[in-house]
Amino acid sequence: MSGMLKLSVQNLLRHRTRSFLTMLGIAAAVGVLFSVFSFNRGFEEGLAKEMQATGLHFMVAPSGCAHEVAALVLHGAVTPNYLDTGVLEEIKNADGVSLATPILVAQLPNPDQQRIDLIYGVETDLLPEIKPGWEITGEIPNGTHEILLGYNVAEHADIKPGAEFSYPNMDTVFTVSGIIGQTSSQDDAFVYMPIATAQDLMDRPNGATAIGAKVDTPERLGTIINNLEEQVPGIQIVTMGQVMNSVANVAASAKSLSLAIALVALIIGAVGVMNSILMAVFERSQEIGMMRAIGASRWNIFQIIMKETTILTIVGGVAGIAVAMLGARLIESFVRQIMPFVPTGDMLRFDLGLALACVAFALVVGLLAGLYPAWKASRINPIEAIKG
Amino acid sequence: MITLKKVEKNYRRGAEEVRALRGIDLEIEAGEFTAVVGPSGAGKTTLLHILGCLDLPSRGELYFDGARVDKMRESELVTLRRTKIGFIFQQFYLIPGLSVVDNIALPLMFSKSQGKKDRIEELAQTVGLGERLHHVPSQLSGGEMQRTAIARALVNDPEVILADEPTGNLDSTNSEKIFDILHKLHQKGLTVIMITHNPELAQRANRTISIKDGMIA
Repeated sequence: MSGMLKLSVQNLLRHRTRSFLTMLGIAAAVGVLFSVFSFNRGFEEGLAKEMQATGLHFMVAPSGCAHEVAALVLHGAVTPNYLDTGVLEEIKNADGVSLATPILVAQLPNPDQQRIDLIYGVETDLLPEIKPGWEITGEIPNGTHEILLGYNVAEHADIKPGAEFSYPNMDTVFTVSGIIGQTSSQDDAFVYMPIATAQDLMDRPNGATAIGAKVDTPERLGTIINNLEEQVPGIQIVTMGQVMNSVANVAASAKSLSLAIALVALIIGAVGVMNSILMAVFERSQEIGMMRAIGASRWNIFQIIMKETTILTIVGGVAGIAVAMLGARLIESFVRQIMPFVPTGDMLRFDLGLALACVAFALVVGLLAGLYPAWKASRINPIEAIKG
Repeated sequence: MITLKKVEKNYRRGAEEVRALRGIDLEIEAGEFTAVVGPSGAGKTTLLHILGCLDLPSRGELYFDGARVDKMRESELVTLRRTKIGFIFQQFYLIPGLSVVDNIALPLMFSKSQGKKDRIEELAQTVGLGERLHHVPSQLSGGEMQRTAIARALVNDPEVILADEPTGNLDSTNSEKIFDILHKLHQKGLTVIMITHNPELAQRANRTISIKDGMIA
């Protein structure tokens, strides 16, 4: 260790508790900053992945909030309005539409298993086209009483293909025709069944939450939708891109708020650094006077104090990131509770570039906070300091 | 070596204007061992700070090796103190967490010169701290702390050692040891200027300057 660095470390160690608490302030701020940024990044990536996982280009929804319908189809919930599947043929035959299926999403309580199942009624023979990425153990359902289970549903109840599956107070017994391999998306949470079965089960003949569709040329999506809206009155169309933007917009305000909190925390941390270093400078003024007498220039003194600030902020910043990573699960589950929509998958992942950027930012703020104490120390009059 | 011509030093203490030095003419020759004596508040420390180019006169002229010090820029003063002057204080002023070796090497840190380990250990041996190299100040006696401070003052091979009551906080045995070291340094050719309240030690210097009311008595 170089002499000046050793001196700075020793100075910080002289008041361990104070240095530790100051570092803690920086660590908390950097930890929050890092978590917010990694969460934002993970959120956007997760959202894009989830939109892709729907396998659809747009959704036709009943009048009401089309975005809400699309978001509910993604995560499963009961919508107040149902679409009449009578318009299905018109959509199927529209120019540019390669595939269209009614989708009925509903919640079905399953008290035996102490959970609520998310039912996803769809034209099951279209599933291979909509979800080409699925790896299915078993078969796609082709009978009215056959169902396909998402990975998590099967895992949770330890169900194998061929097993029978029923709901309390219902006569219908389902056969599990297949189980989807893990996708790490919302698909893992659904119970897929033929649309007619779902309509029957929910007592909604010809009802659908939405109609999902794919187009042959995604570049022409805008034109296709415009034409369709003119041809078929009384429907609303929302593209998955629009859903993504809408979800991202809802999340944006939460994200900017948390970022603002992180920045305020960092400023408070920096004020803590300034206070702590300034106190140390006043306490050591005799010593600084002695150093000036034995050959230290003002610049030397300035450097010693700035080194102390650098050590505090770097160590604090690295500790903050370490704590954020260790507590990632905790932070993530907390955010999932307070945010209205969070994509599945790990939001907080370690990214070296982001970690370095957060520490560098804290360092810049810390160094700014160190400037005044360092300048003050460099202006100490050695004569007055030595006289005490 | 150091020349003061009609040097005056005034400073403010609250509302009061203190005339610490009131026209000092003094010539310190290279290789002298000078004791500065006088009552408290007479201006001894102020004189020592001016001799050590740490403080500048309010009026008058100050020369070090023929160069006019009171007209020097701050950076020149720093270089002068760093290379030609060694300071020793009554309160030792060692850095608490650093070992004897690191405390001795402290001035080298400012000049960015790489202190040779052998040289630092040799200095520690010279002041009788060969066995205490890696001890920190809290593990040392007062005498040992002052000897560390002397070695620190010597590390840049200065021309002059300025000591402000170096034995003021020590018992007679340790005072004697410190004086012996300073005396030996003088015998090796170093210029030593020492403030002391101890008349017996002052007598053993080869020149005594008595200060009273900011003037040489």
